[in-house]
Amino acid sequence: MGRPGLNRRQILAGLSGLTVAGSLGFAALGTGADALASGADTRVRYWNLFSGGDGYNMIAMLDAFRKANPGIDVKDSTLQWGSPFYTKLAMAAAGSRAPDLGVMHLGRVPGFSPGRLLDPWDAGLLAKYGVREADFNPELWKRAVIDGTLYALPLDIHVQLCFYRKDVLKKAGLLGDDGRIVPVTSVDEWFDVLKEAKKATRKGLQTIGMWSSDQNFQWWFFVAFYTQLGGTWFDDANGEVTFDTDKATQVLEFLRRHITDGYVDPGFAGGAGAEQFVNGGPFVWEGNWSVPVFDSAKLDYGATPLPPVFGRPATHAESHSFVLPHQSDRGGAANEAAHQLAAHIVRHAQQWAGGGHIPAYTPTLSTDAYEKLNPQSEYVSAMDHQATEPKVWFAGSTGILAQRVGPVVVSSTMGSAKPDTAARRMRSTLTELLAMKNPMDGQTAAQGGAVA
Amino acid sequence: MTATSAQTVIAPTRARTAAAGATVRRRQGFQHGAWFVAPFLVLFALFVIWPLLRGLYLSFTDANISGDATSFIGLDNYREALDDPLVWESLGHSAYFTLLVVPCITVLAFLLAMLAHHIERVTWLWRLCFFAPFLLPSTVAANLWQWLFNPGTGMINHVFGIETAWLTDKSYAMLAVVVCTLWWTVGFSFLLYLAALQGIPAHLYEAAKLDGANAWHRMVHITLPMLRNITGLVVALQILASLQVFDQAVVMMDFLPGPEGSTRTFVQYTLEEGFTSYRVGYASAISIIFFVIIAAVALARMWLLRNREEGGR
Repeated sequence: MGRPGLNRRQILAGLSGLTVAGSLGFAALGTGADALASGADTRVRYWNLFSGGDGYNMIAMLDAFRKANPGIDVKDSTLQWGSPFYTKLAMAAAGSRAPDLGVMHLGRVPGFSPGRLLDPWDAGLLAKYGVREADFNPELWKRAVIDGTLYALPLDIHVQLCFYRKDVLKKAGLLGDDGRIVPVTSVDEWFDVLKEAKKATRKGLQTIGMWSSDQNFQWWFFVAFYTQLGGTWFDDANGEVTFDTDKATQVLEFLRRHITDGYVDPGFAGGAGAEQFVNGGPFVWEGNWSVPVFDSAKLDYGATPLPPVFGRPATHAESHSFVLPHQSDRGGAANEAAHQLAAHIVRHAQQWAGGGHIPAYTPTLSTDAYEKLNPQSEYVSAMDHQATEPKVWFAGSTGILAQRVGPVVVSSTMGSAKPDTAARRMRSTLTELLAMKNPMDGQTAAQGGAVA
Repeated sequence: MTATSAQTVIAPTRARTAAAGATVRRRQGFQHGAWFVAPFLVLFALFVIWPLLRGLYLSFTDANISGDATSFIGLDNYREALDDPLVWESLGHSAYFTLLVVPCITVLAFLLAMLAHHIERVTWLWRLCFFAPFLLPSTVAANLWQWLFNPGTGMINHVFGIETAWLTDKSYAMLAVVVCTLWWTVGFSFLLYLAALQGIPAHLYEAAKLDGANAWHRMVHITLPMLRNITGLVVALQILASLQVFDQAVVMMDFLPGPEGSTRTFVQYTLEEGFTSYRVGYASAISIIFFVIIAAVALARMWLLRNREEGGR
């Protein structure tokens, strides 16, 4: 019984070998345990970008689906919203590691290389699970169709809203008999409303929060009011810029006036607008996703689409939609389960509406449960007058268009550029972008891509 | 005679044997050394040299993020970059940041090191306080300062009784990033200075004191000259690090380029072009341009230092 014939090196080598083997073993055990625990035959990998209240709602909807479909295991991953999400999704689709189902903003779909990074939906499978074109707002459906093929299944529209505090507006005499804000149909009327509201506002609070220095929000507001003026972006062939600098100047002057007339405090830019609103500020322009925030703050408030100050109602709208990221071998049970899952969530969007979004599946909108939702039912009309970005490859939520033009709108609103100068800069940026080639297919907007 | 001649024969043979032995040992030493540096060389080649060469190739193409449908377009990307106002604007922002950060951090690190060096009670606490922020991940530091700079509820405005929109006003946004960076990264330079201060021989100060030098004289004639090399190092490292500023600015501005694009740095613009606009070829071209600029700064620094050293001799 002598000492075992091992030297220090051999012992170390042995230990490291054991460590590696152990970790591989644990990894394998993890995968196995995962599969065993679900007891499912099919697995759907699903990437989304929903955090906060939207995240909770989506998880609850997924749990309901899992309960109803024990044969399908949904492996959901929530990724950071915005550019990081789209980058990961594009790289996964390009590298053949795409999930079975994903979420995208509808405006980004044309630029996401349908056919290369996105696979088309199977209308037959969707119909099998109860989803048909007739159940959707036609405008929304049209945006999801690229070159005659459906590449996105809309889940909702989310809009920019004018939230108002009923308690403050009542004091200012701005509430109608129905308990809602008095109608506003012109710029003068709107500033009269603000003037009255300001008188009833506690000191230290601004009259309206409007994300005056945020390039995304300011761009969205611009899109809304520019659409109200009937402004256009490009001609039908996407060959010419038709952007109207006079109309744009009008909109930019309107946005700027909120600061120069003292209704917006530029010191309370960004998310501080919502904080001010919760603390008693009469107005805030915010996305409908703020509904749960204001609900949980137990405010007495209402919400309408952005005021139709230029005559024609229109408010900025984007849409969360389901997409099928490109897989070279798409098909089979996982693909069918992805169709089934998307159809299930779209059809059971009542819970989603609780988060403030307007369900894209129109039968939901006429249910009693939806009509009872407040303030959702007050702004559901936004579905019928959506102001959207042009349907070109460089548009869509946090896309190149917003990144290039958004800061120009902010420069005018915040006063570092004159509205007419900013409008001209916007036009020249649009001209540059129209001439730019889509890196995904080497074509300009005029040469193809996003034609419905 | 025989013996002598034998010795004369043997001696060179021994010398030759010894020389050959040394060569063998050197070769063996080199072989051992090569094994030790091999992992580094492999990783360096894999993660630095290869991406650099690949990036250089891509910069002459119109590659997109999916890697297909790529064609060779020569110098088009470089031509476009020279005419691209955002290239110049973002380069200006990175340079502005560097101009603000480098002098501030050098002075601050020196002052903190002097303080920590001379304080005699609970010295560990001071060192920890000054160095600890450097241990935080950039996202933590940036989020922390995002809260502090919040116009409504942030501590900065509350303490000073002001209502500055630090992160949303283009006049202040970059300053806010600078302040966050100073707090977060000064610890590293502080540590370098502290080590250098501790390395100055005490007898120099004692001799100076005996000669009647006051504290100011000791500082100007002993401390500062003795710290000259470390100051050169701190400045050079800070310039290179500051030119590449990215993460804290991006996190503080919620992944946007700041008010009116005022905190969009060159690295951020490269990222936007590559991963938001999916123009990988163009992003590669501007990153190569940036590489050349950074390399030029590093070389200029080396050249200046060499000249100074030669001048000193």
